[in-house]
Order: sequence, then C-alpha cells, then structure tokens
Amino acid sequence: MIVARSRVAVVDDDESVRESLPDLLREFGFAVAAFSSAEEFLASDYVGQTDCLILDISMPGMTGPDLQRELTIRRHEIPIVFITARRDETVRPLLLEQGAVDCLFKPFSDTALLKALNNVLRVS
Amino acid sequence: MLLDIEIVRYFQHQPVLRSHRPTYWRQGHADADTGGGSVPKYRGRSPQSGASFCHDEYRERTIMENELGSVVDALPGLVWTALPDGDIDFINQRWCEYTGLSVEQAYGRGWCASIHPGDLPGLLQLWQSMLASHEPREMEVRLRRFDGAYRWFRIRASPLTDVSGRVVKWCGLNTDIEDRRNADEVLHAQERRFGLIVDGLPTLVLGMTPGGEIVHANRNFLEYFGVTLQEVQSRGKFYCDHPDDFLRVTTAWSKALETGQPYDVEGRRRRFDGVYRWFHTRAFALRDTEGRIVFWYSLSSDIDDQKRAEALLAGEKRLLEMVASGHPMSRILDTLCQLVESTSSGCYCRFVLVDAAGTRFAHEAAPSLPASFISSIRGRLVNLDSDPCARAVYLNQQIVAADLTSETRWPEWCLVAVAHGLRSCWSTPISSTAGKVLGAFSIFCEEPRTPTSLDQKLIEQVKHIASVAIERTQCDAALKRSEAFLAETRQLSLTGGFFKRMATGEITWSAEVYRIFGFGPTVPVTHELIRSRVHPEDIPAFEEILEREQQGSDYEYEYRLLMPDRSIKYLHVVAHATKDRDGQLEYIAAVQDVTQRRLSEEALSKVRSELARVARVSSLGALTASIAHEVNQPLSGIITNASTCLRMLAAEPPNIDGARETARRTIRDGNRASDVITRLRALFSNKDATTEAMDLNEISSEVIALSVSELQRSRAILRQDFADDLPLVIADRVQIQQVILNLLLNASDAMSSVDDRPRHMVIKTERDENDHVRLSVQDAGVGFKSQDADRLFEAFYTTKSGGMGIGLSVSRSIIESHQGRLWASPNKGPGATFFFAIPCRRDLVVGTHSPSPVWAPGVTDAQRAMRNP
Repeated sequence: MIVARSRVAVVDDDESVRESLPDLLREFGFAVAAFSSAEEFLASDYVGQTDCLILDISMPGMTGPDLQRELTIRRHEIPIVFITARRDETVRPLLLEQGAVDCLFKPFSDTALLKALNNVLRVS
Repeated sequence: MLLDIEIVRYFQHQPVLRSHRPTYWRQGHADADTGGGSVPKYRGRSPQSGASFCHDEYRERTIMENELGSVVDALPGLVWTALPDGDIDFINQRWCEYTGLSVEQAYGRGWCASIHPGDLPGLLQLWQSMLASHEPREMEVRLRRFDGAYRWFRIRASPLTDVSGRVVKWCGLNTDIEDRRNADEVLHAQERRFGLIVDGLPTLVLGMTPGGEIVHANRNFLEYFGVTLQEVQSRGKFYCDHPDDFLRVTTAWSKALETGQPYDVEGRRRRFDGVYRWFHTRAFALRDTEGRIVFWYSLSSDIDDQKRAEALLAGEKRLLEMVASGHPMSRILDTLCQLVESTSSGCYCRFVLVDAAGTRFAHEAAPSLPASFISSIRGRLVNLDSDPCARAVYLNQQIVAADLTSETRWPEWCLVAVAHGLRSCWSTPISSTAGKVLGAFSIFCEEPRTPTSLDQKLIEQVKHIASVAIERTQCDAALKRSEAFLAETRQLSLTGGFFKRMATGEITWSAEVYRIFGFGPTVPVTHELIRSRVHPEDIPAFEEILEREQQGSDYEYEYRLLMPDRSIKYLHVVAHATKDRDGQLEYIAAVQDVTQRRLSEEALSKVRSELARVARVSSLGALTASIAHEVNQPLSGIITNASTCLRMLAAEPPNIDGARETARRTIRDGNRASDVITRLRALFSNKDATTEAMDLNEISSEVIALSVSELQRSRAILRQDFADDLPLVIADRVQIQQVILNLLLNASDAMSSVDDRPRHMVIKTERDENDHVRLSVQDAGVGFKSQDADRLFEAFYTTKSGGMGIGLSVSRSIIESHQGRLWASPNKGPGATFFFAIPCRRDLVVGTHSPSPVWAPGVTDAQRAMRNP
C-alpha cells in the first residue's frame, strides 16, 4: 500500500543521478528534491520534512556516512537508502548496522529501488 | 869590451914600451911642448925624473908619445896608468873632462874623490888584492861627474910586465856603462818579476832543454813534490806520477819531444804527503826564428777538485739515468757507493734505508764491504745503540766515530769493524725533500779520520743524489703502479685519449683509441682516417665539431662509428683546449667507447616500458574500484532513465515528452560509459599484487635510474635528497615504483613549457608522523590552482593535451590500497609538490643512502650544453 506524496530527498554529486532518479521517483508518485552535496541538503528545509533520504556514499566534502552521523547528532531520524557506484560488499552490512534501511549498488533496477522505498515507508 | 882587450894587447905588444920602460909619456907639467901657460893637454909624470935620453931618441920618442897620446885621448873611455904600488901616474884628457878633476888632484890617491863613497871601500879592497896578486880584474863602480852626478863605469885594470914578469905599470880603462847598466837593471827587474810570477803561478812550471832536461822548476813545483831542483833533475820529471798513468804520460812526452807537438795529458801526481791529485799538464816548445826548438816549458794545473766534481756530476747523471730507466733501488745505491769510493781512496760506503713508517730498516747497499761485516740489517729496528748508521737515522743527525778503537758507544760493533780493518765511520742521515728521514749514508775509512770540509761537501752531494734517487725511485714505483692501474682502468672502461696540435693538425692517439677504431697502432692518424669510420649519419655532426675546434673551446659530444663488420660503436668524446708554450692551440681529449652503455640503455628503456606496462597491469586491481565507479555512474543513469522512460510510456496517457527526455539522457550516459571503456582498454588485464619489505630510497633510486634518459630528454635537473634513517615499508614494489615514476614524469611534463628558469626537480624521502614514510617530488613547472587540488586525482582529469588523465588517479588508488595518502600542494614559488605517505614497518630501519643532496648523475650542465649548443 502506497502512501501518496511521501517526500524523498536525493543527495548525489553525480549529475546524471540527480537528473534521472527524481524523474523515476516522481513516476512512482513521490515528491522529490535533489541535492548535489550533503552540505546543500543540511542547509535546506528538507532536513526536517523528508520521509526518506537516498544518499550517495562517496562525495567530495561530506560523505554519505558523514551526513548520516550528522543527522543522528541533530536527532533527525530520517530513513536512509544508500546508493554507491563502488561495489564493496563489506560496506553494506556496516551501513545497515548503523541504521541504514538499505544499500543499493549502482546501477540498480527500478524494482530494487521501489522495494527499498517500500521497506522505508513500511518502517516509518 | 873588445876595445879594452885591444888596448891591453897594444900595450903588451909594443916592444919599445916593453924593452924601454915608459918613464915619460907626457909631462903633465906646463912645458915647452905645449906652450907655456896653456892648459896641459896631456897629463903624466915621469916616475924617474931627470931622464937622460939622447936628443934623437928623445925626438923619436916624443913623436911616438904624441901619437900615442892622441890615440889614448881618442879612446872612448877614461884611461889611466898606475905605478906598481898603485899610485896613479897618468890620466887621459877624458878622465879630467869627466870628473872635472885636475891631473894634480888625481895623482896618487887623489882619484878616490871621484869614486862613489859607497863603492870606494870595495874598490880599494879589490885594488889592493890586484896589486898583490898581479891579476887583471874589473869592477863596476859609480864615478862622480864634474857636475856631481854619478854614472856607472866598469873599471878594468891589467898589469904591464917586463920580460922578467915584473909588474912595471898598471893600465886602466874606465868605460861608461851607465846606459847599459840601466838596461840591464830593467832586464834584471823584468827577470826577477817574471821569476816571481812564475813562482807565484798556481801551477807547476818546468823549463826544459830541447832534449827534455830540466833546467827550471817553479816554487810551486818544488813545494808540491817536496823536492829540490837538483832532485827533480836527477830523478826525472815523471818519478811521482801515478803508476797507472806512468806509461801513458811518458809515452805522450816522448812523442812530444820527437814531434815537437804540444804535450797535453791528464794524470795523477803524488804530493809530498803521498796523496795523489789529478793534474792537467801541457808542455809547449819555444822555437827560434828558424823554427828550431830552443826550450820546452810545461805547465801542470791541479784539476783534482774539478775531476772530483766531474766524476760526481757524471755519476749523478748516470744515477739519474738509472733512476729514469727504472733500475732497482739496490743497483742504484751500489753504483752510488762505488762512485764515492772511486773519488776518495781508502774508503768504503754503505747505505741503509728505512721502511715507510721509519721504524725499521728495509734496504741496504754496501758493495765493497765484506759480507761478514755487513750482516743483513733488513727488518731490524732503528735505535740508538746498534751502530752509527742506526743512530744517525734515529737522531736525524750526522754521527762521526773518528776512531773506532777508542769508541765507546757501540763496543761490540766496533770490535767487528776494527777486526775488518776499519778505523773510522761517519754516518749521515738522508732526508726526503719533505724532511722525512729515508735512511743513512756511511763512509768507513781504514784510518782514524774526521771528515774535512771537502769530505763534508762530498757527503752533502751524495746525500742529495741519494735523496733524489731514492725519492724518484719510490715515486717511480708508485707512478708505475698508478700507470699500470690507469692503463688497466682505461682498458676496462674502454677509454682512450688523443692529443691534437691545431697548428700542424698532428693527432696522437693512445693505444686504446687505435683499438676502438680498429686500426693498427702504426697507422698515421688523419681526419680522413677518422672520417672513414664515422657513421654516415653522424658525418655532419663530426664536421661541425672540427669547425668548432678552430675556435678553441672545450667540447663534449657523442658520435657513432660504423665498423667494417657493419657493427656500430658509440663514442663519447670530452675534449679540453689548452695552449702550448708558444701559445699554439692544442686539444687533449678522452674518448670512451660507450657502446655497451648505449645498448644497456636501450635494453633498460625496453625494460622501463615493460615495467610501465606491468605496473599499469598490476595497478588495475587497485584501479578496478575506480573504473567500476566511473562506469557504474553512467550505467546507473542509463538504467534509471530507461525505467523512467518505460514507466512514462506505460502511463495513461503516455508521457511522450518525458520519455523522449529520459531516452535522450540514456543515450548520453551510454556514450559516457563507452568513453570510459575506450580509455581503459590499455589497462584491461589484471595480476595479483605481491608485497614485500623494501627500502623506499632503494626503489626510488631504481626508478631514477630508469628515468634518467627520460628526464634528460626533457632537460630536467633532478636532485636527490634522501633521508638516511628511513624505515622499511611493506608494499608492492612494482606498484610503488609506478607511482614514483608517474610523479617524476608528471613533474617533468609540468616543466616542459618552462624556459625562463632551470627545470629543477627534487625527490625527497623522509619520515612522516604516525609511523609513515613520506616521499615528495617537487617541480618548478606550471603548478595548479589550489581549488583544483582535489580534481587532480580524478580519473581522466588532465591538463596535458596528450595525457589520458589516469596517472594520478591510478597512483592515488595504489597508494590508498597501501593504506597511504597521495596529495599535492602548490609551491611558494613556481611549480607544485606531490606527496605520498605510506605506513612503515616500525621494526625495520635501514640507512644506506647519503643524506646530503646529490645531483643525479648524467644530468649535468655540460650535457645540457651539449644538447643545446
């Protein structure tokens, strides 16, 4: 069951991701905002109003896990789905352990993404 | 003189005068004959007054007497007669005129007033003895002239006897000999002076008859031989010549006497004290106007000192020749001993030499001393107490043992010496020019002696010669060793040399150059000969060098030879221009066959590209993540876009515009992925990494060695600054070398457009904090802006037109896979510095590299200049 108009934020330094992923998520029915860096996201209004955060792991400046820790510190309990182009299977359990909902390796299918988002929204 | 005799004869043969005693010649008193009152012309008195002659007889006599009186007055002398008792009874006119005395004043003993007082006693004494002995005599005395002046006269007087032999009269004639006597005086003075000169001459002078009999010997002659003239005359002039010279000098003298040719010989002649000295004797014949020999005189000059000096000089020359021609030291010293022994008889010489440390004796030379006396000294310690030689060396001062029988310093040694007939010993230390004691020189004599100043002079000379000989022999030995070493080194390093005189074009090759060019060592070297071997492609460069030689500047270049067997040799030439004494230009040059090095370099170059390839391959493991990241990004876009597109098309109504947009993005990302793959194709393989403990300095040095030619090509000057206490690191050798190579090539490339400053690079290793080892490469290139610092390490980021932009990205991957960091910072001045730090093993520390900065070999200014003339 899908809760309409849940708000999703995408944080990725890769432009093609910021172009393509919001379109897909909108097709799914989410309200989407895209940010090119963790710092940009933290500075925005979305921090307190986001139902799910799709977050790139490796970025210049603050990385995905850095942002995760920062949000924990700020007590913003936003469910996070990590995405990364670096296929490192050892990273995934670490991230899940630290509270991430899922971790997707690029390139991922739309179903994999939808499944992850469902998990998020189910939890929330 | 003749006249005197004639007069005497005249008187002796006048029968009248003999038979009739001339009782009256001319009355000195004024009488009728001369006219009264007139000055009497003839002076005389009759011993028997009151004579009774007949008139005729008287007249006859008077006539005779007148004639005789005229003769007597005409005689060129003062004539007088005296009675047997010595009283003057007649004087002629000239007597009166000369003395200014009258007849009366002269009569009896009155004439004595005319005699010089100094001569009178002698004359009177003679006169008395004549009167007693009736002998005719003569005497030279000074007669006072009328004006008081004295002139020398010879007074001659002869008795006139009657038939019974009784003296009836003394006749006298005084002849003026003043002029002759003066001449004689001059002559005598000359003779005396000449005699003094001859006596004073520092030569031995003999005067001899044409037959060779000695008539004169000068004082020096007699004093030298210690003989009298009579002894020389009786013994002959050769009796004290040296027995070895005797035959030679007597033969020469006989020949001289026979031919009249000058006699000229050198020989030893024995002095009064038994010492022989060398003399140069010359004898010349004096001839009269008809060429007949009238006299021989000989001159002997003492040339002993000269001989000695000549012998020493000749000896010195011979010795130096021996030194120069590389004779062994022992033979040189033996010769020197013999040289000294030949210059002074009755002496024996010995040399002892010490080792380099100066503590032990190393050599000995004593050719004339018996072996039983000279027991080998080699290896013995230098000390005060064994013998005078050791003492002289030990104290570095001359030791004189004047009489070994009374010597107390070396009692045992003295016993042996005396037993061998040696009575004195003088030992003198020999020093090098630097003042180091080399050994000692000893003279032994058969008699107790102390060195004279002449001996000391000789010793000084020997000391000098010995010092030169020993030093030169030692230097020569060292030089020979060095030369042999150099020759061997040259041959090993395939280095030869040539010498070129520009004015004449004359070229001299060393043996090695002949070997390099493959010519026989007798072939004359010309430019044509050299050109015939130069590789055709290098002929222009070769000609250019020949032109440059004319300018007289140093040069360095490389060219190739094409040998007859089609093989190629690479030659490296370094030439230095100099001027000879006349200011003419000359070149001295080293020629090295660097073929092996060139071939090695080519081989190394191959190895280097192989390494680079291997490194790239090996680094792919580390690169995979980067590649995956680069590929996955566009792939992710593609899939997402495609999904979105499908969903847009499946919608009711289908979102055609959205679908078109996403499809367009899909194509774009597809191309992006394709580009990545294209760029990575060269690295499309993998190999397992291996790690080992290693020294960062060492592997850096290997990389530098590999990069030298590359750096040279880009005219970069690399300085090494390696820490010497660097701990070992655990790493993949090939990968880390790939990183270092990458940093070096990047630095070099960054300076490729730099022309206004030196292209300096510094590679530095040091300890970093947290147990890391840091390596940095600093360049003076174009640098980068600090905001680009992060982008530098992104794959495919490049500032180079021909670059792929993968180097730094791969490098960072490699360093990160070693748990290290790679970063860059702009320099304060031009250029940038790239760093990496990797963890070290704390238990492994090595220090093999010098901490001081060292310019990389092969990258010199000269070579830069050579490449950019």
